[in-house]
Amino acid sequence: MHGRHQAGPGETFWQYRTYQPGDPATAVDWRQSARGERLFVREREWAASQTVWLWRDASPSMAWRSTPALPEKRERAELLVLALAAVLLRGGERVAPLGGDMPPASGGSALARLAASLPPPTGNGSGLPGPERLSRHAEVVLVSDFLMPLEDMDSRVRALAATGAVGHLLQVLDPAEEVFPFTGRVRFSGMEGEGETVIRRSEDVRAGYRDRLAAHRDGLAGIARAVGWSFAVHHTDQSPQTPLLALHMRLSGSRSGGGR
Amino acid sequence: MALGPLAFSAPWALAGLAVLPALWWLLRVTPPVPRTIRFPAIRLLFGLDARQSAAAHTPLWVLLLRLVLAAMVIVGVAGPLWHPGPPMSGRGPLMVAIDDGWAAARDWSQRRAWLDALLARAQREGRAVLLVPTAPPADGSPIEVRGPMPAVDARAAVQALVPKPWGSDRAAAAGAVGRVGHAAPMEAVWLADGLDDGSGTRFVRALQALGGGVEVVTGRTARALMPPAETADPGRLDVPVRRFSGLDDPDVLVVRALDGAGRPLGRQEVALAPGQSEATAHLRLPVELRNKLVRLDIENESSAAAVVLIDERWRRRPVGLVAGGSGATAPLLDQLYYIDKALAPVADLHRGDLSELLAGKVAVLMLADVPAILGTTADRLDSWVSQGGVLVRFAGPALAHAAAQAEPGETDPFLPVRLHGGDRSLGGAMSWTAPMGLAPFPESGPFAGIAIPADVKVSAQVLAEPVLELESRTWARLTDGTPLVTAARHGKGWVVLVHTTANAEWSNLALSGLFPQMLRRLVLLAEGMPGKGGGPLPPVEVLDGLGRLGAPTGAASAIVGDPATAVPGPRHPPGLYGEGGMRVALNLGAAVGQPRFLPVPAGIARSSLSQTSRELDLRPPLLALALAMAVADLLVALGLRGLLGRRSISAALVALALIPLSAHADDSDAFALQAALQTRLAYVRTGDAATDAKSRAGLIGLTQVLARRSTAELAEPMGLDLATDPVLFFPLLYWPVTPDQPPVSPAVADKLNAYLHHGGLIVFDSGDGGVSGGGQSERLRALTQGLDIPPLAPVTGEHVLTRAFYLLKDMPGRYEGGTVWAQDGAPADNDGVSPVIVGGSDWAGAWAVDAAGRPMFATVPGGERQREMAYRFGINLVMYALTGNYKADQVHLPAILERLNR
Repeated sequence: MHGRHQAGPGETFWQYRTYQPGDPATAVDWRQSARGERLFVREREWAASQTVWLWRDASPSMAWRSTPALPEKRERAELLVLALAAVLLRGGERVAPLGGDMPPASGGSALARLAASLPPPTGNGSGLPGPERLSRHAEVVLVSDFLMPLEDMDSRVRALAATGAVGHLLQVLDPAEEVFPFTGRVRFSGMEGEGETVIRRSEDVRAGYRDRLAAHRDGLAGIARAVGWSFAVHHTDQSPQTPLLALHMRLSGSRSGGGR
Repeated sequence: MALGPLAFSAPWALAGLAVLPALWWLLRVTPPVPRTIRFPAIRLLFGLDARQSAAAHTPLWVLLLRLVLAAMVIVGVAGPLWHPGPPMSGRGPLMVAIDDGWAAARDWSQRRAWLDALLARAQREGRAVLLVPTAPPADGSPIEVRGPMPAVDARAAVQALVPKPWGSDRAAAAGAVGRVGHAAPMEAVWLADGLDDGSGTRFVRALQALGGGVEVVTGRTARALMPPAETADPGRLDVPVRRFSGLDDPDVLVVRALDGAGRPLGRQEVALAPGQSEATAHLRLPVELRNKLVRLDIENESSAAAVVLIDERWRRRPVGLVAGGSGATAPLLDQLYYIDKALAPVADLHRGDLSELLAGKVAVLMLADVPAILGTTADRLDSWVSQGGVLVRFAGPALAHAAAQAEPGETDPFLPVRLHGGDRSLGGAMSWTAPMGLAPFPESGPFAGIAIPADVKVSAQVLAEPVLELESRTWARLTDGTPLVTAARHGKGWVVLVHTTANAEWSNLALSGLFPQMLRRLVLLAEGMPGKGGGPLPPVEVLDGLGRLGAPTGAASAIVGDPATAVPGPRHPPGLYGEGGMRVALNLGAAVGQPRFLPVPAGIARSSLSQTSRELDLRPPLLALALAMAVADLLVALGLRGLLGRRSISAALVALALIPLSAHADDSDAFALQAALQTRLAYVRTGDAATDAKSRAGLIGLTQVLARRSTAELAEPMGLDLATDPVLFFPLLYWPVTPDQPPVSPAVADKLNAYLHHGGLIVFDSGDGGVSGGGQSERLRALTQGLDIPPLAPVTGEHVLTRAFYLLKDMPGRYEGGTVWAQDGAPADNDGVSPVIVGGSDWAGAWAVDAAGRPMFATVPGGERQREMAYRFGINLVMYALTGNYKADQVHLPAILERLNR
């Protein structure tokens, strides 16, 4: 929620002005009026809200955790999305799920409706939804592990950015995906039908895996940079506060910076 | 198949070793199955493992582990035996004779194990087996040879075989063996109990006649406990013990006396010197305990012969004796002399006035020549008899006189029959010319079965009026038919009249051996002896071969006739017989006799159970080892697949390392912590369990009362072992003085001195009511040698101890009036608290409460007030120990008040 620097409907005080015929009696600030000879009317600053489109990846690869002590990636992604939605709603913004069928909404009940209308977990790894319902110059927050192929990712982000939307990518990863702690002879199988591979000594491929993960992340950052979006990484063993705070900062920052 | 000391019972299984090379190849090419992990970022992994397609090999050491495992299973299945028994000489069927009488019960489990090993050998050689148990079977069937059967069936049959509570019958067994038809010579093995029942040689000959050679194996023979003999000393029980084998070695056994609940009443060791076959255990049992006795046995020996069941015959009944007329001048003329001699071994005799005896508890009353009983005594006697007492009266001049003086129609209620008046029945003027003997006892009376010596003559008697019921009331009569003993029921009891004197005045019955037997039968009337003897006695509980009582089974049937002549066997197993509340014990020991040790004819191989070496079956340990290796292999496989986290391994190692640590936790620290964390009283453990329990209960009671009445809420008291435990923590140490406490050692004395010098308080309690002189006894002095005890003085009314909490005049414990001693004069240090308090009133006894909070001991002379005073003293004592001379100021209170007024 951000002020339009002029009087209008809003919460914060803007100015007193003298009463003019036609003003409703209820608009008179009697306390202020009692100090002087004239009647004053209290005006508030006109605040307008912005729609933020939220999306979290519901593909099977998100339903994974390396140890029972950690939350699944999808749980963390949902937590982040809903927490962000709660903060935004409290600020008077409007939120809507990207890929869901709920129109942008604000107010107290919107959070529950948003939670209910998040797209359900899908069976295959179909990635980002298209820009069909996106309003122009919207804000988009995408939370996923972004482990899909980079070219696929690139085309979809470009499609979203073409609507003029400003987006934020948050990559949620399990720490095991980051450090690859496996040892010994292991058969790895994919979660979205990618197939499987047997690694003779898992510790031997650790360095190679980390290199590839870094390259993939560089690619993601590049895609984001190309359309002017932000990109951040979050691990499920860390506190969700940090990315939440950063996201909120960026959302406020993009608004003030964009002057919208 | 045999390789040195190793043999295999199923050698063909070793052929499985041939598949080991194939197994080697298989295991080599089959790598362990990898574990599967679902991984979202798998796209990044594709193509990373360059050597992915190369075949993985099992590590060599895992391969070897698995090969050894397989080899162990194969060798284990082949049934390896270490030191197998020597192979049997014959090839045909094997005759196994087993003595399963009582004498084999002592080492029955060894015998059974030996038989099992023998039959296992026979099983390996594929021989048929014939079994001959030589004791008659319990179902009463004749002894028969079982089989031929496969050895495996014989093993099952032997496992089911139990020793019988009767002896072997070799003659019948020899007959059964003789009836076995055999085409080829048959080898025979006899596991003998070592006793010769007279037909041992015949049995060996019968086995020899099978033609295959005989081996006799003997083990340990059971020992026999004989029924206790009657002794003159009522507090002693003489139990003869007999052994039959191993006579050359000394032996020690323990005879136990048990009550109905199986609690031991007494134990007595008996030592048998080399060459000695019989010894007697002198069990000392007070009469009260003796009447609870139901069973004697040899400790740790399970055999029917090692058990003697005790029935009514060994109970000692209280018998009251009353003599009429004036006391005799010489003992042999005394009315009761012969009764006394006859009954002393079997009963507790009490002499005295009739009313005195009725006040006590007697089961039988014997009145010798007492004329009419009158007044209140008669009423009490009447109710006593009605409730089951047995009144036995003897005739005599006084009784005859009373009968003669009686008015016609007047009867003495305490006579079973109405006596003929006058003197016709008396003296030499009677109708017979010569003293008369006794007719045989009627079968229906209690004297049934007693033999009558020919020289018993009765020269005088009182006569009964001939009435209709006289016949049925007569238990004994003279040869001419006149009654000698008559009896009538009176309520639940009996009134019996012996128509002659209890001494030798009227007959020589009292001098004969018949007299004690008759009297004992009469005493038995007092408790459940069948009124009409000779009825069949059904079995109630019988012993099995291992000496355990159980319900009668099999062919056990009622004993008809005199139980003393019954012979234990399948029809009458040893045990308890009888009806209603009456029990007669049939004991095997009495029927054992003196069997000889079994002679073995020349030419018979002979060995002993203890000499034969046990073969060791290696199959169970081998298979167990294989199982352990399989578990190890499983762990290795898990480890290779990376499923064993390093954390779980280290946790297991830490747990393993902690086990010995936790087991060796230091308990002296625990004691100190327990003692020091809360204030509590303590007592000295004397080593006498009863005293320690009393001290503990006493201090618990005192602690409870303290908590109720004062602010001193102490924790549960503790017992101290002075030698090891520190005393420093306790404000008060209660020390009961018992006779057998050793004096304290110098180290302990130092410890206690330090305790006393630093404000400790020890309460010595001799617990004898001050008999030993206020605790100043030699005992206490000896006990406390080395302790730094100051000069003592009696505690007076001015002492702080009498006003520390309550104002007390005296300081009773369980006993009243003892003097309490404390240090002479108030000590300057330690708050003026005397380091020791010495008394003998058994305070702990007065304070002691049980788990329900009830007092455990009565106070002497008694009363709740005395217990209350004892508690008050206890509270004062603790307050004295805790607060010192703080209350001593009260002594100065009058002076202070006076000064304030001024």
